[in-house]
Amino acid sequence: MNKTIKSLASGVVLSLCAGGPALAADDPIRIGVQVPTTGSEATYGTDMFHAVEIAADEINADGGVLGRQIELVSGDSACDPQQSSNAASKLASREVDGVVGGYCSGATLPTLQIYGDANIPFVITASNSTKLIPANPGNAFMINSTGADQAKKAISLFQEKGVEQLAIVNQGDAYSQDLAQLTRDSWKKVGGEIAAYETVNKGEQDFSAVVTKIKSSGADAVFWTAYYADGGLLIRQLRQGGYRELIAVGDGSNSSKLFEIAGQAAEGVLAFSNPTAKFLPKAQSFIDTYEERYGNSPGPYAPLSYDGMKLLAWAFEKAGTTEHGAVIDALSSADGEEWLAGPIKFADNNTLARSNFIVLEGKNGEWTRYEP
Amino acid sequence: MSWLEVFFTQLSNGLVLGSFYALVALGYTMIFGVIKLLNFAHGDVYMIGAFCGFGALSLVSGILGDTWLGLFVAMLMSMVAVGFLGVIIQKIAYQPMLAAPRLSILITALAVSLVLQNSALALTSGEYTAFQTGLGYGGVDFGAVFIAYQSMVLVGTAAFLMIALEFFVKRTMYGRAMRAVSVDKDMCRLMGINVSRVIAITFLIGSGLAAAAGTMAGIYYGSIWYFMGFLVGLKAFTAAVIGGIGSITGAMLGGLILGMLEAFGTQIPFIGSEWKDVFSFSILILMLVFKPTGLLGKSEVERI
Repeated sequence: MNKTIKSLASGVVLSLCAGGPALAADDPIRIGVQVPTTGSEATYGTDMFHAVEIAADEINADGGVLGRQIELVSGDSACDPQQSSNAASKLASREVDGVVGGYCSGATLPTLQIYGDANIPFVITASNSTKLIPANPGNAFMINSTGADQAKKAISLFQEKGVEQLAIVNQGDAYSQDLAQLTRDSWKKVGGEIAAYETVNKGEQDFSAVVTKIKSSGADAVFWTAYYADGGLLIRQLRQGGYRELIAVGDGSNSSKLFEIAGQAAEGVLAFSNPTAKFLPKAQSFIDTYEERYGNSPGPYAPLSYDGMKLLAWAFEKAGTTEHGAVIDALSSADGEEWLAGPIKFADNNTLARSNFIVLEGKNGEWTRYEP
Repeated sequence: MSWLEVFFTQLSNGLVLGSFYALVALGYTMIFGVIKLLNFAHGDVYMIGAFCGFGALSLVSGILGDTWLGLFVAMLMSMVAVGFLGVIIQKIAYQPMLAAPRLSILITALAVSLVLQNSALALTSGEYTAFQTGLGYGGVDFGAVFIAYQSMVLVGTAAFLMIALEFFVKRTMYGRAMRAVSVDKDMCRLMGINVSRVIAITFLIGSGLAAAAGTMAGIYYGSIWYFMGFLVGLKAFTAAVIGGIGSITGAMLGGLILGMLEAFGTQIPFIGSEWKDVFSFSILILMLVFKPTGLLGKSEVERI
């Protein structure tokens, strides 16, 4: 009796210890996809999810990773810190082998610690606030250029355009505030003047107060650093209010939806953008697959999300295991291999070691590459 | 821009904002008048009104175009549809609760709010819907003060609706009945007034006005989404409290005052526009503390 209990117990212990690897041989590799699929940023989030799905299906069709299939587990971050924390806890408790995604820096920020505690490799494919860098416990990798790179690009564009008085409007969240502050500080450093620096509340539809402030400040350019849904409203109300100078928007507003909301008013608006599929030479087959499967064009973060999934798979293969530490080491060893959106190599702080921003211009209801 | 130009620009902005608040506040105050319910679902009725207006516009834009004529017809259709939705909500959710304690019906109102919001969330999957119209960005320049045609028509329409309501309440039979019901329901019944019909009409008109505001907001701002009613609902409640809840003229006045306060408050140097909501809700608190009856409300003596 005693013996059976002992052997049973040891059996349980053994199977618990061996549980991971023993099951692993035929179990799928589970990848969490943390994107907002509801809420104000659902368009981008769903788009990112689709891109990850395409990448995962391609990998599975080629025999999977380490001989195992990839299974995606979705976690809806809703572009909201509280919801994203819930989503991250859910993914961590379901013991995913890696996470891709991360959109809305404010929502990504609290999840870093959750994945960090479980040491889960996390490839961040869109969020690019510099606030994420010090909060990164070392397991997260940002494959989108950071806000600092974007601010630099913005400053050089404004100088090119002969702007003297700049108005900056943000939404008070991590992403837009970060970009606004970086731009303000470097704009002052190059001798420019800040005509207005405004924060608007998320969910607010009426920007007339800001419009009046901008108009009375004499700004000859407005830089909106937050997302398209409210950006569209601001652009519309600026033009409605009779503002006729340059308007530029950050990469969070680089969506075709901006034209639906702002209509005519978005003509001539400039946007900074990370590499979108349309402007990538190697992305044609990706665009075709995407359009065939989902009936619309891939959005701005689709190529990076696709790359994120592929990069993670590459790291699993390179590490030869799904053991978290080894995968993280493999990720940091990425050395300029070519991906859809260009080469990936990480700086010491796990951010992309190069800037990938381009400038777009709104023309006839769509984004085109800006020609100065 | 000189300070005078800023003043006039903000005056026009305040009028636009105030019109939205006033139209929604009217529904709050009328419904409170007849059944003593703070209808917290009213902001969401405004949101549904915006979506109905959007749907109606896509129906009629083929025939009437998507400029003024089409937009007016769409707004009217939305007002009628949402007006009846208001009546249905009242019959299903509020009627059975009329005899219950006041707190129960208040909780029912919150439930209705959640149902409306989440239905819209489910139908739109939480995305912003672009409310595209054929209206341009034309307007009149008075020096540096630019006033868009849209703002003028919007304020004009709101003013017309409010005058029409004032006429209805003061001069028609049902208007008189509505005022009587708000004073003493039981006595009205004894006098042969069909109280439940008067309540239904109140919901019809209140919801219709909210739908008008919702559709106009969609046209003016160009995008609508399921959560747009939340903040406006709270602001309209504030406006109703400022004016004196239960008072129709008070709701109009409260809406305008709130719109102006927001427009001018955000222009105070060193106070950014992110303080806008702080203004509104501080006023709500101050009002509730120092003059809970509002500017035009009458204090009621509770008889036991």
